[in-house]
Amino acid sequence: MNHPHPEPAPGTGRAHHLDYRVAHLTDHLAAGPLGELGVRIEIRGEAVLLTGTVPSAHCRDEVVRLAREELPDHPVHFDLVVADASAPDHAEDLP
Amino acid sequence: MIRVAAVGDIHLGPESEGVLRPSFETLPATADILLLAGDLTRHGTVAEARVVAREIEGLGVPVVAVLGNHDHHDDRPEEVTAVLREVGAHVLEGESTVLGRDGARIGVAGTKGFGGGFVGRCAGEFGEPIMKEFVRYSRRCADALCRSLEELAEQDCDVRIALTHFSPVSDTLAGEPPEIYPFLGSYLLAEAIDTAGADLAVHGHAHLGTEHGMTSGGVRVRNVAQPVIGRAFHVYHLPVRERRAAGADRARAAAPGAF
Repeated sequence: MNHPHPEPAPGTGRAHHLDYRVAHLTDHLAAGPLGELGVRIEIRGEAVLLTGTVPSAHCRDEVVRLAREELPDHPVHFDLVVADASAPDHAEDLP
Repeated sequence: MIRVAAVGDIHLGPESEGVLRPSFETLPATADILLLAGDLTRHGTVAEARVVAREIEGLGVPVVAVLGNHDHHDDRPEEVTAVLREVGAHVLEGESTVLGRDGARIGVAGTKGFGGGFVGRCAGEFGEPIMKEFVRYSRRCADALCRSLEELAEQDCDVRIALTHFSPVSDTLAGEPPEIYPFLGSYLLAEAIDTAGADLAVHGHAHLGTEHGMTSGGVRVRNVAQPVIGRAFHVYHLPVRERRAAGADRARAAAPGAF
């Protein structure tokens, strides 16, 4: 029987749900010029949090720019660290 | 004492040229060898490999490397390998080399390795061809690592080191989401290390993991991914075992992890 006003099927119109957009951002960071797989992206309520260590300040700035560009309607928080390239000041003894 | 410097996942690109060089130039004073545990580039391009080559050329200590998954992304691992070899790096894939300074003999067996996961939570060689090939590829890497370590047991080394990109144990993945462990390493690598014996296993790949781990056979494992160690490299001091004139059996008996 045809319903005059059928309910949309579950999921319809949800392709832009934040879950999937975060997944796509993850893919874009990996596939794009940065080749970045080391950033963790988590949904925190309405906000999105990016954490991790990246190889350079340029890389960090690009991650921030891309995330803001792809998620303009959500607060995006960043706690990204640039890898420390200094020499170690001690060694580990492995007797 | 043998001093082993190691780092992985340096992910160099054109704009990071020269970043590690000043620290690497201190190596002759602090280390006898530098191990690079893969993911030296971002996309595995020749241009990125040249950046890496300039960071490690003429350091005054031997450099031994394996490639990582990033170094394969542009589908030209042979060219990346060639660029690194041009500047004297020993790039290993299922092979071993013996190097050292001042008479020390440091044996390194290397493979990129691959995923599959850890005992009780791992992929099996079953079902679709692509799934079987996934596990078989990981097994080939591990088998080559085992053979390479066994070759080193015949070569009167002071220490034997297993160098991989993927992790042999889950200990050093702590901090990573458990759901992705099967993409970060394989117990097959640890089984290879424990079968052939080694004094140390070094890997990278797991940026959110932790530095310290151990195989079931008692071989120390160190995750030297740069985000984990938070430095240009870490240095490990290994005691020199008494040289053994005998063959693999006696050498194995002295090495942790050997049965």
